[in-house]
Amino acid sequence: MTVGTQKSPAVLIDQVSKWYGQVIGINDVSLAIDGGVTGILGPNGAGKSTLFKLLMGRLKPNQGSVRLFGADPWSDTTPYRRVGYVSESERLYDWMTGLDFVTTLARLHGMTREEATERSAHVLDFVGLADVMHKELGKYSKGMRQRVKIAHALVHDPDLIILDEPLHGCDPIARTSVMSVIRELGNQGKTVLVSSHILEEIERITEQIVILHNGRLLAIGNLHAIRDLLDKHPHRILIRCEDPRSLAALFIREDPVYGVRFPSEGELEIQTNNLSAAHSLLPSVVVESGQAISTIENPDDNLESLLGYLIGGAQ
Amino acid sequence: MDRKGLDLADTVWTKLDRKAGAIVELTVRQLRHRASTWVVLGVGAMLMVLLLAFYIDAVRDGFEPIDNDGDSVDEDSDGYPLGQEMKYGTSDFDSTDYPGSSEYVSESSIGWNDGLRTFYGNKTWSGQALFDPVWVDSGYEDDDPWSNIVDWDSTEDCPPGQIYDDWHPIYGTACHFEDDLHYVYGEWRGEGTVYVPEGNFLQWGYYTEPFEVAPDPPEKYIDEDDIDCFDSSGNRVVCPAGDRLSGSHGYDDDGDCLRVGWVEGRDGDWFLEWDANIEDNFDDDRNNNGIRCDVLWEVDADGNEVRRITADSYVDEDPDDEAYVGELGHRTFIIGVGKMAFVILLGLFIPLFLALGLVRDETESGTLHFLLSKPIHRGEFILYRLMGYMVVSGSYVLALSLVMGVVTAALGPGDQIFRLSDLPVWLGIGLATTFVLAAYGALFNTMGLISPKYGVYVCIVFGVWEFMMGTFSIINPNWDISSISITHWALQMIDAIVLLAWPDTLQWAEIGAAYGIETGLSFFWHPPVHTLGTQSAAVALLVSVVTLLSVTVVMMVIGQSVFSRREIM
Repeated sequence: MTVGTQKSPAVLIDQVSKWYGQVIGINDVSLAIDGGVTGILGPNGAGKSTLFKLLMGRLKPNQGSVRLFGADPWSDTTPYRRVGYVSESERLYDWMTGLDFVTTLARLHGMTREEATERSAHVLDFVGLADVMHKELGKYSKGMRQRVKIAHALVHDPDLIILDEPLHGCDPIARTSVMSVIRELGNQGKTVLVSSHILEEIERITEQIVILHNGRLLAIGNLHAIRDLLDKHPHRILIRCEDPRSLAALFIREDPVYGVRFPSEGELEIQTNNLSAAHSLLPSVVVESGQAISTIENPDDNLESLLGYLIGGAQ
Repeated sequence: MDRKGLDLADTVWTKLDRKAGAIVELTVRQLRHRASTWVVLGVGAMLMVLLLAFYIDAVRDGFEPIDNDGDSVDEDSDGYPLGQEMKYGTSDFDSTDYPGSSEYVSESSIGWNDGLRTFYGNKTWSGQALFDPVWVDSGYEDDDPWSNIVDWDSTEDCPPGQIYDDWHPIYGTACHFEDDLHYVYGEWRGEGTVYVPEGNFLQWGYYTEPFEVAPDPPEKYIDEDDIDCFDSSGNRVVCPAGDRLSGSHGYDDDGDCLRVGWVEGRDGDWFLEWDANIEDNFDDDRNNNGIRCDVLWEVDADGNEVRRITADSYVDEDPDDEAYVGELGHRTFIIGVGKMAFVILLGLFIPLFLALGLVRDETESGTLHFLLSKPIHRGEFILYRLMGYMVVSGSYVLALSLVMGVVTAALGPGDQIFRLSDLPVWLGIGLATTFVLAAYGALFNTMGLISPKYGVYVCIVFGVWEFMMGTFSIINPNWDISSISITHWALQMIDAIVLLAWPDTLQWAEIGAAYGIETGLSFFWHPPVHTLGTQSAAVALLVSVVTLLSVTVVMMVIGQSVFSRREIM
């Protein structure tokens, strides 16, 4: 078997199904990904981790075939030379230092201790852990732990990087630094798969997305194109202000707005079928009203409403 | 192979090597960071320290010479030990009967139904009779109130009436019957005529002149009959060395079999007819080889191994304990500790705590994902994990056995300052335990993989089985069923290594059994069983090693195949 020829796409999933007893993990998914950063979006239980574990040979598909650089990852470990995988697993060897941890794993690529140490220091610096790499992992913060996991996946300079919920549990600062690391990887021309259940996170990283829901492939393509579709759909904007009624009078005149509601005291809900148009007229209307606005929220601008739209459900 | 091929091979092997190094190092460091590792290894070390303490205590106390045949005692406190009393035929249960004491010699008697019932003489009489004295030695008496010697000073008239109908004579007394006649019952000295009534008994004789015999010190009868061996030229040599094993050995150093110059025919003689050593009657050619008072060594067909040692009664029955108990005890200690403490205890408990979770724990904690996302086969991973475990447990066991070896070799009996020949045995014990650790390690790790939840219980059941079979293998390695255990083969390894390092162990075991020097060597050690009919210890060693390695490999292959099919969540 030839493995890892340049012709084979990094990830090739062909009509793959995986179920655990009665529970469906992945249902007839076909996917080919090569190059760029791809966000795998889906709520918890959508099959994101199952998909990654199939790719990493942890699980064996019940149907269909999984190819990683042209090889079957279940029976062949050779593609792992070109893959870095950040699992969702939270546990690390807490007694090891960050450098030790990454170095040990780097040596599993056949590097000498010196090579491994050098490479590890380099990737730890890349993920921004240079100053803490001699500290024990047990003393790392959540964000540091995520980044050390990313570092181990990058240590052998892989062509494909798979990150399972890398932003999960990160504080905003850690989140930003992890995101910039992922974007940087994309800029370096690597194929990156990153999963999340938060639309906003993925949006800040990439435009190329795959949406999974209940084990099915729901959508694939450019996030903005999908969002544009979504924008044309009925949407709500929630505004908290002093006098919702007078503000409503100003809004109801405008074209994209087809209805208003007052869910509770001091709250105005605007209903629109063109979200971007509605957003663009918001500032002028608010200025005209002369009111003090405390918050503006888009309760429908999340994964659930996107999914709801895509599967043609309510809203 | 061309240059490129060499490079390729080099690269593949070096990379394997580096991966192995990384996993082994990780495993060692992980084990080092676990409290249970330190507890198990610490308890093992403490057990060894305790055993060493017992050993050192035994050595420091020295080997008290043991009176193996029990002839240094002086039961009747007459100052003469049993061994000396036996020589003179006196009794050690009668303080008046001792070497040189005067002894009553019976000349004749009148029985209860003899025809002639009267006799005249100047004798020492004993029994019941009517006595018509010419002369009586009224000074012949002693102070003992229970004595049978007749007290003539307090003689009274006999009671009226018919003797035996109306009155009975009292033991140790005489009474005036009628005229000059006295009715006497007991022992007395005098001249006169005796009339012995029908149904009564009287004997007469004299006492020998007492003579002076200096009492021997009891020490003389301890270790007084050492084991004697002879080489082909008939020279006495230290047992069991010597070029001649078979045939007649042994020499009755203390003469209690040969009985040269012994005083025969005295009361204590009955004691000699009982050979306390073998709880049977005295027989100065018990081994039926036609030679009085020797020891017969029978060897097997190839003439190398002593199969049986049979001694005639009281020959070589009180050997020099310092030499024999010391050596036998030393070997028993090493073999016993090697089998019980090392193979059975350490061999079972270390893998139970260290190997069971080698792969299972990684799966459960999720850290396995990091390791398996690297280009490493799962089977390879198991192998390297076990190697890491072996680095910890194997080096621990080998170091422990080396320490035990150095201490016991320095303190052990014998003329040499350091018993160098002990070290191969200890090394063998360490190696046998290492093989056991590998086999159990692979087995327990596989059990942990097959059933992460219940594997530990399966392992405990295995452990109980192994413990039982190990015990059976120690008692009787020939029992076939015990060979269905890992322990059995490790114990066989030790048996074989012992025979290779100390080729005379079989003779020692036989000597121990034959001369009643029971230190337990013949309990803890048997010649190796699985020699494929060659009787060769080297073959037995090879067979055992191959078996243990096969078990390890088979267990690893099973574990590898289970693990490769396992989906990891």
